[in-house]
Amino acid sequence: MPSETPEYPTTDQLDRDIAVMLAHDARISFRKIAADLGVTEGTVRGRVKRLQGAGLLKLVPIIDIDRARDPVAGGHSGGQHMMFITVRCASGKLDHVRQALLAMPQVSALYDANATPRLVAVCILPSLEDAAQVMNQILGMDGIREAESELVLQSVKYNATIGPIATLEDLARQSTD
Amino acid sequence: MSESKPQRRLRSTALDETDHRIIEVLARDGRAQSTTIGEELGLSGNLVANRIRAMDSGGLMRVVAVADHRIHGYRMVARIRLQVTGRPPIEVAQEMALREDVLSVHITSGRYPVSCLYAFHNAREMLEAVRNASADIPGVEDVDVELVNNVYRYIPAVGPLGT
Repeated sequence: MPSETPEYPTTDQLDRDIAVMLAHDARISFRKIAADLGVTEGTVRGRVKRLQGAGLLKLVPIIDIDRARDPVAGGHSGGQHMMFITVRCASGKLDHVRQALLAMPQVSALYDANATPRLVAVCILPSLEDAAQVMNQILGMDGIREAESELVLQSVKYNATIGPIATLEDLARQSTD
Repeated sequence: MSESKPQRRLRSTALDETDHRIIEVLARDGRAQSTTIGEELGLSGNLVANRIRAMDSGGLMRVVAVADHRIHGYRMVARIRLQVTGRPPIEVAQEMALREDVLSVHITSGRYPVSCLYAFHNAREMLEAVRNASADIPGVEDVDVELVNNVYRYIPAVGPLGT
């Protein structure tokens, strides 16, 4: 595991303007973006490619959680649940627990927080039974001191277009380019 | 119905098999052309374009550009959780949602029922936001700050688009 967080690649106002124009419809034409921002289409294409390569921009379909179906088992579109799980690990077990969590397909986001050995997993789950099963699996892992679950009951605000999306892997790849 | 050809729909409330197949291709390339998607799935480009438009306008699925917070000039992101007493947590959540730098707000079943993803330009801004939340918002009993450090996975495939 890298001992420190790799340097973050620099971005400028043009990168930001392009990200804003693509935010709510990532399929609009590069020609339109180029015309609006007064640059060439090739520049827009190049910037988007670079940002994507660095893991700083992801052009992705997002399915509404109330209409999503179980991505693993398929089935009907009955909606999904979001759950945050905050895990505190025994000393020296952080790497082990992180690998175990990354092996779980239900974990859609994972980050560590503060200086304490705390890992936070965001899970998308088709049912409460699945939530229970995930908690059982995590609490049964070697090296777990404590796992706290928070089920999302209501979403009041959600900005799908900004977030801490660049992973350690993305940043490490960037710094070796 | 399952035997018939996928039809163009004017309004949809649920995703069907054809929609999911289109979304699978979009997950690999969010900007794939409708005709290219159609060729891969054995559908007409027009049908694919209509399906994508219908999913978008129906709020079922949207192809978005998710940008790292640093592109927008933010330096750090924290999950700020608020413990609330003597007041419905939803009221506190709605107050937090008004703040521009608050990216998302959820009501959860946990000890801290209001969970916000909050972006900051610098550390001082974060300290001030935390102090303000506990001092200025009635009912906020305790604040927990979880500063996002290393991100190991981020797959934004499903989210509460309806909020």
